[in-house]
Amino acid sequence: MLPQVLFQNRKPRRIATMEEYCRSGGYRVLEDIARGKYSPADICRIVGEAGLRGRGGAGFPAATKWMSVPVDGAYPRYLAANADEMEPGTFKDRMLIHVDPHTLIEGMIIAGYAISASKAFFFIRPSYDSSAMILERELERARQAGYLGDNILGSDYSFDIILHRSGGRYICGEATALLNALMGKRPNPMKPPPYPTVKGLWNRPTVVNNVETLANLPHILRNGPEWYKGLARTKTGAGTKLFCISGKVNRPGCVELPIGTPLREILEEHAGGMRAGSEFKACLPGGASTRYLTKDLLDVEMDFDSLSAVGHRLGTAAITVFDQKTCLVGVTLNLLQFFARESCGWCTPCREGLPYIRDLLWRIENGEGREEYIPMLRQMSRDVWNAYCALAPGAASPVESLLTFFEDEVREHIRLKKCPFSRPR
Amino acid sequence: MPRLVIDDLQIEVPEGTKVIEAAERLGIMIPRFCYHKALGSAGACRMCAVKFIHGPFKGLQMSCMIDAQDGMVVSTTDEEAVAFRRQVIEWLMMNHPHDCPVCDEGGQCLLQDETVSGGHGLRRYPGRKRTYHDQYLGEFIAHEMNRCIHCYRCSRFYQDFAGYRDLGPMQIANRVYFGRFRDGPLESPFAGNLVDICPTGVYTDRSSRYKARRWDLQRVPFLCIHCSLGCSTVASARYREVVRIEARFNESVNGHFICDRGRFAYPYANLADRPRRARVDGEDASLAEAVRAASGRLDQISMNAGPDAVALVASDRCSLETLAVLKRISREKGWRHPAVFPRPDLEHKTRRAVSRLDRRLAVSMRELESADFILAVGIDPVHEAPMLALALRQAFREDAGIVVMDPRPVSAPFDFDHVAIAPAEIGGCLSRITEALSALQADSAAQGKETRRPEAAGPLRADLDSRIAGIVERLRGSRNPVIVCGTDIVRDSTPDRAADLARLLLQLKARPCLFFVLPGPNSFGAVLLAESPGRSFSDVVQDIEQGKVKALLVVESDPFKNFPDRERLERALDRLDLLAAMDYLPTSVVGRAHIVLPTCTVFECGGSFINQEGRVQRVEPVHEGGIPVHQVSGGGHPPRVFSHEVPGGEIEAAWRTALEVAGYTNARDNLSILKIMAEEHPGFARCRDIPTSRSFRVLPDAGDRPPVCEETGDRAAPEAADTLEVVLVDRFFGTEELSGYSPVIQNADSEPLVFLHVRDAEPLGIAHSDWISIALEGGGLEVRAGVSAQMAEGVLVIPRHRLLEWQKLGPVPAQIPFGRISRAGKE
Repeated sequence: MLPQVLFQNRKPRRIATMEEYCRSGGYRVLEDIARGKYSPADICRIVGEAGLRGRGGAGFPAATKWMSVPVDGAYPRYLAANADEMEPGTFKDRMLIHVDPHTLIEGMIIAGYAISASKAFFFIRPSYDSSAMILERELERARQAGYLGDNILGSDYSFDIILHRSGGRYICGEATALLNALMGKRPNPMKPPPYPTVKGLWNRPTVVNNVETLANLPHILRNGPEWYKGLARTKTGAGTKLFCISGKVNRPGCVELPIGTPLREILEEHAGGMRAGSEFKACLPGGASTRYLTKDLLDVEMDFDSLSAVGHRLGTAAITVFDQKTCLVGVTLNLLQFFARESCGWCTPCREGLPYIRDLLWRIENGEGREEYIPMLRQMSRDVWNAYCALAPGAASPVESLLTFFEDEVREHIRLKKCPFSRPR
Repeated sequence: MPRLVIDDLQIEVPEGTKVIEAAERLGIMIPRFCYHKALGSAGACRMCAVKFIHGPFKGLQMSCMIDAQDGMVVSTTDEEAVAFRRQVIEWLMMNHPHDCPVCDEGGQCLLQDETVSGGHGLRRYPGRKRTYHDQYLGEFIAHEMNRCIHCYRCSRFYQDFAGYRDLGPMQIANRVYFGRFRDGPLESPFAGNLVDICPTGVYTDRSSRYKARRWDLQRVPFLCIHCSLGCSTVASARYREVVRIEARFNESVNGHFICDRGRFAYPYANLADRPRRARVDGEDASLAEAVRAASGRLDQISMNAGPDAVALVASDRCSLETLAVLKRISREKGWRHPAVFPRPDLEHKTRRAVSRLDRRLAVSMRELESADFILAVGIDPVHEAPMLALALRQAFREDAGIVVMDPRPVSAPFDFDHVAIAPAEIGGCLSRITEALSALQADSAAQGKETRRPEAAGPLRADLDSRIAGIVERLRGSRNPVIVCGTDIVRDSTPDRAADLARLLLQLKARPCLFFVLPGPNSFGAVLLAESPGRSFSDVVQDIEQGKVKALLVVESDPFKNFPDRERLERALDRLDLLAAMDYLPTSVVGRAHIVLPTCTVFECGGSFINQEGRVQRVEPVHEGGIPVHQVSGGGHPPRVFSHEVPGGEIEAAWRTALEVAGYTNARDNLSILKIMAEEHPGFARCRDIPTSRSFRVLPDAGDRPPVCEETGDRAAPEAADTLEVVLVDRFFGTEELSGYSPVIQNADSEPLVFLHVRDAEPLGIAHSDWISIALEGGGLEVRAGVSAQMAEGVLVIPRHRLLEWQKLGPVPAQIPFGRISRAGKE
């Protein structure tokens, strides 16, 4: 059995209780903090040494983000936990909440302490209502146990977590849009400067972390940075990662694996291999806003750096597997329907460019394609990179890689004036 | 200061200048939709992409999002940038309805220009267009959402810049909709600016809809004369009709915007019932005949009853030219000097304000925006000087503190502390602030020495003490405080007290800090030209009643609008041997005058006006005058008239006609009017050298010394607890004279409310929006009441609204006993 860190208290069909979490060593770091074992700077240093990178998709080093809060920054400061998980194929945050909510709660308190925040917002998408209810219940338990609220465990540190059910849109997962949404504004991203760590919520320093990032913190501090780094299977990686596997495999689901586990091993051992009669054609390695990854890269190590070295992104590590019977034009069209719908509508490339791409893909998929659409799609998937935020470039990734790796399949649609994968009528 | 190279041209710009702005200074207009100087960068349209070749940024970047930095080399014509911009235009035009032939924006449309210049000529997009429903947004603005290209300028102006919430973006993705939650008139009095800032035809001016293309218009840089601020506009005319007013950028006065009163008041100049023919004793006459008749009869009366029996009446909507000529002819003929102000107190306060303003003290409206603390006394900004409210909001957005000391239920698009006190208390508060501040300063100047704390200026309510102390503290702690003072509702000495405080602040902070708001567009000029002490119209009425005045020449003024006792005025006018009226408005005086001499509006003859900070602004005519072609052409299309003469074209500027009436036959050209102006006031000599697009201030280097403890015998606060003090006020719409004639404004105006404090209303059983009746000697006044807790107690705030017969109230200021106010049965 591989080392289970975040999922160490995973129980079949139920949620780990606070007592179970405590028995596994939970809240011990918090007790140490209350005893004055760590200063905020110590925590930043240890987490920095552990090499923890953000788990929301961009992979930005967590400690670096914290340390960008100015030393003389204003108070109160805020922490926001990003559980606006809406990347297609991704459900790790939800699993985390349903497996062991207290590892998250402790993680948030630690992060809050590291940046001297007094208040945190747990920003959760409304479709995760059952998760929100779990959290509300468990937050109250933590509060009663003295882990949250004024003077935590008798220390002079006070901190509380407010659960915020968002209006629920993909763009709310973008950190600055999330902050706007929290403040009751339209969730339009805001281009830095100022960075949220300098001027975030109500112009106060604010750190936004993904919930999986936060859940790692108690374990890093409990076991030390060296242990954490040792969990990974690559030199550049650190820790474990929750992989969400979906598509044409035998055992789809969410598994915790060391960072750097090769893709082939994930699919064959942990996902039970391809379904009978299915053959691997391609996968999205890190959610819908990453490029299609083809057969020749099956041995790639699933780590931020290894993937970017071959032109791909780990993203949220949501692996969606397609087999030889799946029409990738159809898949891409499906994804673009999502992205075009979820654009916040702020900038032109995203608001108008994505529906344009979607329209051309729809025509190709439905037998109305023309040869000139291919260069148009190629150019537009490049042009949307000049959008305001990362949504449109992410949305363009499947389109661009479709045209790079599966141009023949696209041309076949145009030549046949129908989708070659559709059943004969 | 960063130096950079744009398209091989070098430029040095101040720190913080965006690249798009730096390029504009070089004359390179980078295409843009969302970027607007006043609204700043948004980065939404992606149209201003340029290629960064060297420096801290590389590749394609938005020039509105990046500050100019040393060593940057930028190309705006790089192939990649041009291709990307072409793509952006294609995206923006995907859903545009291409309805340019029926769109009012056509010919002045940024989207049109940039579609063409961007090289997107042929449509490739094979899909359907998105469509929206349009909304009814009120009488001023037409909404056509299908044309929208989502630059967010409207919502950034409406919500961020102007501070109103009822228009904004809804929904996401390519369904984003700019509008209101439901159909209805826009609440912002600055909504008309949406027409100017929208880069395409989503918001167009309803009042000028389908009337003209931009290239058909006679467009002239113009001046707004609908309050004392004197904002810059562009006036457009076609077929002898003014069809549109737009805002014009003025870096000292209004910035980029104007208010809706200024934008939609213009139809007064196009009225079908405007006096267009001269009349003598009810019979139409030529202008020359009427001038001869007026001249003869005035001379006759001068000869028989003495020149003192002839009185002139003007108003603050008269141009400086007219006022100067009236002064000249009254002096030379021995006639009475023109009475400009309707009430003596208004004349007094304006005179005091003008005499106290000098070069070191006066703040322009744009300078006001950078103040960090503003104390506004006796002013309701939105209603009395609308653009002042927008300037205050800009200060507020930069974290300035704002205190408004005023009895009215002031509402404004910024947060402020409201000190709701009666008009009589304002002056006392100001004096106490001044005294406390100077005492504090004396303390710190002479530490240890015994200092004398001045006595409080007068007995004031105890709860005010802490608020005054707070204001003193904030004034002390601010770098750049400004005192804004109104002249309408305050007591006679208040402008002086405001100036005293400003003078002290000038010593402390060494920055200009005084901003007066005056009663009308040319009040400043009227005071400069007035004799001292001046006479107001009420003195004239008295003299008519006593038989001292037998002839009245009323020039561009409507005494009926302002005189508080209508019946008395009618009786007085009936006693006159001659009532001659010169005006371009169909006023009641024109209706009853023996001789009517029609005059040109400022659109037809231009003119000079002095705004409240002493800025002389002169404009040229927009068109030559005459009856609008539509009114004489019988409805043909295109409208035309076959005649050798312009119908109604003989009408002239009031000053020319006035000169003729006085017998001047060879002093009617432009050079002689400039000479007359310079002779009547040396400050106007510069008018000769200043081009019409420039302005200058007529302010002394140092103003009057403060009148030491001058007590002007202000009326005290009412002692009796059983009366309400009447405070007559202006409203955004409905009280200003010219805009009151505009049909579009009449349609948009809402019912006037009379406000009283909730504690005054409760004992009377009056609730908000109840009908109340005010019983008076001259009959009853039935009106809807507004009840507010955010106003002073003991006052009854009545707008001088054209739909309200407030003139029945009799001489104002007045006290109304509670017993005379009751709930009316009317529902």
